[in-house]
Amino acid sequence: MSHMIRVENLSKKYAGQLVLDVPELQIPAGQRFGLVGNNGAGKTTLFSLILDLIEASSGSVFSKEIDVQKSEAWKPYTAAFIDESYLIGYLTVEEYYAFLANLRGVTKEEIESWTQGFESFFNGEVLNQKKYLRNFSKGNQKKAGIVGTLIGKPDLVVLDEPFSNLDPTTQIRLKNLIREEAEKNGTTFLISSHDLTHVTEVCDRIVLLEKGVIVKDIETTPETLKELESYFSN
Amino acid sequence: MGFLILYFLTAFLFLGIGGFYLLAKENPESDPILLINPLLGLYFIVDIVVRYFFQSIPVTEVKPLLILPISKKEIVNGVLWRSLISFFNVIPVVTLLPFCIVFSVEKGLNASVWIWFLGLVCLSLSSNYFSFLINKSKRTALVFLALFLIGYGLHKFSNVSVLDLFGKGLNHLYLELYWILIPIVLLYFSISLTKTYLRKQLFLDKGLSKKKEQIVGGNLNFFDRWEGMGFFLKNDIRLIIRNIRARQVVLTGVFFLFYGLFFFTQELYLDKPFVLVFAGIFITGGFMITFGQYVPAWDSEYYSFLMCQNVPYRKYLKSKLYLMMFSVVVCSILSLPYLFFGFNVMQVIWAAGIFNFGFGSMITLFSGAYNTTPMKLNIKAKAFENTQNFSLIQMVFILPKLVLPVLVFYLPFAFFGFNAGLVGLVITGLLGLLFQKKLLSLIENTYQKKKYKTLSSFNK
Repeated sequence: MSHMIRVENLSKKYAGQLVLDVPELQIPAGQRFGLVGNNGAGKTTLFSLILDLIEASSGSVFSKEIDVQKSEAWKPYTAAFIDESYLIGYLTVEEYYAFLANLRGVTKEEIESWTQGFESFFNGEVLNQKKYLRNFSKGNQKKAGIVGTLIGKPDLVVLDEPFSNLDPTTQIRLKNLIREEAEKNGTTFLISSHDLTHVTEVCDRIVLLEKGVIVKDIETTPETLKELESYFSN
Repeated sequence: MGFLILYFLTAFLFLGIGGFYLLAKENPESDPILLINPLLGLYFIVDIVVRYFFQSIPVTEVKPLLILPISKKEIVNGVLWRSLISFFNVIPVVTLLPFCIVFSVEKGLNASVWIWFLGLVCLSLSSNYFSFLINKSKRTALVFLALFLIGYGLHKFSNVSVLDLFGKGLNHLYLELYWILIPIVLLYFSISLTKTYLRKQLFLDKGLSKKKEQIVGGNLNFFDRWEGMGFFLKNDIRLIIRNIRARQVVLTGVFFLFYGLFFFTQELYLDKPFVLVFAGIFITGGFMITFGQYVPAWDSEYYSFLMCQNVPYRKYLKSKLYLMMFSVVVCSILSLPYLFFGFNVMQVIWAAGIFNFGFGSMITLFSGAYNTTPMKLNIKAKAFENTQNFSLIQMVFILPKLVLPVLVFYLPFAFFGFNAGLVGLVITGLLGLLFQKKLLSLIENTYQKKKYKTLSSFNK
């Protein structure tokens, strides 16, 4: 299987302090990759490096063998929703989607019918609201943002804490949605979460970061949740 | 920014001290206060308008206090007190206090000048609270608008001038002490109105809630005709019409359209063509400069998002550039009424327009790359916030933006006359267009190089 993401000798220092140190990490295409760890473990730092939003202190990230620092060619097949700043607050959801569709080569008609397919996920609270995204509740912003990442069937989707702020029904629907997308389109998902139950349920592999270092890297099995819980309770 | 405030405070301080001597020297017979009084009415009108645009009382910040054991009365009083800590409330004190001290020293201590001082401070503080109410409640705003219109109507259509009356009132205040009651009552009235208003707003679903916004600019399909770039243009236009801060900045740009009136109405400037160039640059490029200097800061709220989308820098920059160039065309067309001041003036304005269209727009875009202060789009700028991004490098960019056009006009003008000066401007503009691709690549590289730095300061 080819690698979607390959990390080589990656490290990030802030003011001399090492916050992330990953000598090696490979994420195969089509994997649902879960990243767990306490606050400050380096999850967002790792994602930001993969998205080339911060400069690595050493090493490289390769996305489909493209060095993300050297070329922008990874952008067309990559989508991310890290927080609300990934929405454009002064647009309506429809305008935001139209913008994304345009960037990812999806036509206006396609995007309109495609979003209709998410009505149950949106639970009637996202589309046709006549509201700017900045006036949405946190949960609905998240729903809008997550669905936005799927526009144009990107190969790589990066989601930071996708389950937080969502109501229970939507959390369950989101898990199904991620599984479906991965199976149907072979999408690679990188998901970070504090919710061990959800992340073990939806991901095939869990990597545990602590103080910037990978301390566990496990294929998900029915025992994984217990293993993680016992790790974090110490 | 601290420096700027200090500068203005000192300036006003000297205005206060120097003002006395200046007035006393020019009109030795009259009392300086009686000379100032007629002007103060206009001052207070400007004061209210400026406060309306730039002063905000941060009501939403009291949210966490609501569930603490603090009475609502105390919260309201806290807000009212805090609203006093504002540059606009310091100005009158800083100006008037030295003035009154100098007055007392020179003319001997007497109560009336201090009563006058107290009255003006009361009026200024009332203006503080009234402008807050105007901002928050439509009804108060309408009342003030009506008062203003009535005043204007009286001024225009009858012999009664409200400003004169106001000045006369101040004279009375100065001469007959009991008039002080009026400003005190007015201040009390404004405070209690604000109190009642705030008290009613202290609920999460009232004053502290987010306002319902109407969707404006929903249909901009017109721009779809520009493949690829259309969407960026649409977003920029929505950015401008849907965000308070953006509207504020752009409005400043629109004011520059009238900048020419300042110069062209004075004989002194009309026969100095390079002054006209300066005006022309502002008239045709006001929007371009005010908008362009905040590229990419306009997109700072979601810059990370943009940076991991399939958005090549070039496309992004080009759409901003085209918007700026488009604005130059619009401003040049809107400047047509300046024809009234003669064909020469018009020629200079349009030549300056061509300069801005081809070259100025590029420079402005380039200067934006060095401006990495994030911008909160939907929040009013505080006084001086628009100058916060002011740095040495922005100063340096003033040279090509404002000095260069004057030079490329003036040098050929000095040797070969007026038309040569025009040609100088036009050619520089055309050169900018000719090398647009090259210059864009240069700007693109600068943006690319500064990407991480920009991102990290935008995400602070």
